[in-house]
Amino acid sequence: MAKKILKRLFLSLFVLLGVTIVAFVMVRLGGGNPASLMAGALATEEEIADMEVRMGLDKPLIVQYFKYLSGVLHGDLGYSWNYQMNVTDLLAVRIPQTLKLCFFGFGWACIFSIILGIIAGIHQGQPIDFVALFIAIAGQSMSIVWISFMLILVFGVTLKVLPTQGIGGIRYMLMPGLCIGFGYAANQTRLMRSGMVDVLREDYVTATRARGVSKNKTYFKYALKNAILPIITNIGSQFGRILVGSTVVENIFNWPGMGQLIVQAINMRDYQLVQSILLVSACMIVFCNLLADIAYTIIDPRITFN
Amino acid sequence: MKMSTLLRRMRKSPMFMIGVILLIIMILLCATSPLWIQWDVTATDLRSRLGAPDFFANGLSGHPFGADALGRDVLSRLFVGDWTSLKITFAVTIISMIFGSVVGLICGYYGGILDSILMRICDLLTAIPQLMFAICIVAMIGSSMSTLIFTLSATGWVATARLIRAQVLGIKNKEFVSASRVLGTKTSRILWKELFPNTITQLMISASGHFGGTILVETNLSYLGMGVQPPTPSWGNLISDGRDYLASAPWVVIAPGVALAITVLAFNFLGDGIRDVFDPKNVN
Repeated sequence: MAKKILKRLFLSLFVLLGVTIVAFVMVRLGGGNPASLMAGALATEEEIADMEVRMGLDKPLIVQYFKYLSGVLHGDLGYSWNYQMNVTDLLAVRIPQTLKLCFFGFGWACIFSIILGIIAGIHQGQPIDFVALFIAIAGQSMSIVWISFMLILVFGVTLKVLPTQGIGGIRYMLMPGLCIGFGYAANQTRLMRSGMVDVLREDYVTATRARGVSKNKTYFKYALKNAILPIITNIGSQFGRILVGSTVVENIFNWPGMGQLIVQAINMRDYQLVQSILLVSACMIVFCNLLADIAYTIIDPRITFN
Repeated sequence: MKMSTLLRRMRKSPMFMIGVILLIIMILLCATSPLWIQWDVTATDLRSRLGAPDFFANGLSGHPFGADALGRDVLSRLFVGDWTSLKITFAVTIISMIFGSVVGLICGYYGGILDSILMRICDLLTAIPQLMFAICIVAMIGSSMSTLIFTLSATGWVATARLIRAQVLGIKNKEFVSASRVLGTKTSRILWKELFPNTITQLMISASGHFGGTILVETNLSYLGMGVQPPTPSWGNLISDGRDYLASAPWVVIAPGVALAITVLAFNFLGDGIRDVFDPKNVN
């Protein structure tokens, strides 16, 4: 087990190394000279060339890459010329904001979807099941941009009960957090429901009921354990989706997180900042997937770690 | 499965029927929109700026769903924009499905070093959030319909490849495949004639999910200014354009959002329907 986890860790590092290369190449694909953007519109040729030297852009790409990589290995993510500060310091302020939002969205969506999924699965074919399914399918079909606008329209513009921009107390977090979790909640409700429906068809559930064990005990003690297994993997593998949602939502609600930062950074051709955001996001996603795999093997001994 | 059984199951699956009917209606309305819309979708008309919906009181020559900030008819732009979004979505889905199945078939069948390399590439592409990947590419190359199609396909094939690979791994050691190999059938023929047909159901389910997903990603990109560029309408543009007028003219946002949700819903229904229809456990 420990050996397999180590192997998996090694593969993850390999993937992350790949991410650094992809990110490095990707940000340099197109035109737009960051040095001339930095130097300003009135800069002369010499000033731009001088700026290139200062930013290290005059060196060959391969040298730039290895300089970047060795920096990353030492915990130095580079320098953001646009913000005039170290990327590490900048991200240290932004990442917690994104994580706060993500965990809030993740949290409510998880609790909501598991409860709704269980209720729907137990009452398969009854009105409450249809309501749950409808919520789930409709939720999967709506654009996160549109949901955000509708929430702003209802709670921000019409009822005027929630602030629509910026950060502050929990009230500022409510709308963006709701939006982020929406698609995920919908997806997971269906997963939980179908897991429950499948397990309740199993012979062992019928046998347990036939022995006179009460409905609730059968459902929650015996059926739920098996039905919840797919959810564990889903929780880990859907973190990327939450992160994507947060990129959009942060821009809509003016939330100063990583998602808002990457859009500004891209437009300013702030290479090192973009690279680092891509790398940090990739780390988070890889870590969550790894965690999900490990959790799965621990909870379900029938599955071998792979 | 016999054709008649298939048709009967299709008719009996409400999900499948609702999905198909909704899609046909939507696609017909979009494809024929040049014939029936009365407004030029890019011409501005400041007199009817942010005009309220009249809900067909004046037929199609009024603004049934209102007018936007430049006085353009929301309904007309909706269906023309819908067509833009659908074209992108269809292109992305078809490219992703083809590329994904080829990679999946080859990886699953041959295994070995090629499989390892391609699967690590898949890991790599899933490790970067799709939207961030798309933002970077679009921002660097510049936004156009072909860039969008390229970018979304570049990450879109991964899920399909994994799915098909898993299917192939499950069946490649079955008797009918071994028999075919023993008989000296060419590998390309085994892949195409023996293995591929067994993955079609999964492929179709994956495709319908992919359609819906791509439409949603397109809206996200448009909001971030990386989608189809104005004045060409696309759903993403239409929704994003309404942002500043939420308080005074909510209809600018509501109509395209509802249309988009209906279309994605139809694709999701279709996917579930296909699963029902082809599910061997489903006996009715």
